Amino acid sequence: MNRRNDTGKLSLEIPSNIKYIREVSSGILKWLQPRKLDDSTLFDIRLCVEEVVRNAITHGNNNDKGLKVFINYWLEGDRLIVEVEDEGKGFGLDKMPDPTIEKNIMKGSGRGVYLVRKLMDKMEVNDKGNKVRLMKCLK
Amino acid sequence: MSVKTELKNNITVCCIEGEIDINTAVDIKKAFEKLIAKKTPKIVINLNKVTYVDSSGLATLVEILKNMRVYGGRMRLTNMSHKVKSLFEITKLEKLFEIIADEAEAISTFV
Repeated sequence: MNRRNDTGKLSLEIPSNIKYIREVSSGILKWLQPRKLDDSTLFDIRLCVEEVVRNAITHGNNNDKGLKVFINYWLEGDRLIVEVEDEGKGFGLDKMPDPTIEKNIMKGSGRGVYLVRKLMDKMEVNDKGNKVRLMKCLK
Repeated sequence: MSVKTELKNNITVCCIEGEIDINTAVDIKKAFEKLIAKKTPKIVINLNKVTYVDSSGLATLVEILKNMRVYGGRMRLTNMSHKVKSLFEITKLEKLFEIIADEAEAISTFV
C-alpha cells in the first residue's frame, strides 16, 4: 500500500471505508519504528492519524466508497508531517464547536478534531476544507 | 475486545480488555445494553486492560453514562492508564465521570 512518490514523500491511498483506517496508522507507526519513539508519542500519532482519516472518510467523502482518501507523510528534520486529503466538497473543520463546554460535553461527537489539535504541535486545514496537515515534533 | 462482567460486593464490575475505538464501539454498547435494560444501579468499569481509546471510544462511554443517568444509575471508571486518563483530562470528561484510581476503592466507597 505504501509507495514513495516523485517528491520523496511516502504516500498511500485508501477507499472510503473505515476498515482501512488501522492500516494507515500501522503503516506510519511501522515506518517510524527506527526512531524508537516513546509509547506516548506513538499513541498520539496513531490517534491523530486515525481521527483525521476517519473524518476524511465519513465527513469529507461522506462514506462514498467510490471516493478515495490520499495520505502523504514525511519527515522534515525531527518533525513528522502527515497530510490527509479527501475528494469531498470540504467541511468546516475550523468551525467545530468546543466539545468541552457544558452544552456539548454529553454529545456523541466533536472530540476527534479537538484531540488532534491538542496532541499535535500543529494542525492546518486548506481553504476548501478537504485537506488536513498534521505536524508533530519527534524530539 | 472483550467485556467480562462479575458481581463484587453487590456492585457490577465490568472489565474491558483491548481497544475502545470506532471498531469496537458497537460491541461495547451491546455489552452494556443488557445491564442498562436491567437498570443496574451501580457499575464499575475497570479499564486496566484497555490499551487504546479514540474519540469514538470516549463517545461510547459517554453514551453508556447518559443511558444510565436516565434511570438514576451511576458509573465509575477505574484503573486507567496514564495515557487514557490524559484523554479524559484534555476533553474535560474527567468532570463528567467518577474516575477512581483503583477498583477495590471504587467498590468499597460506592454508596
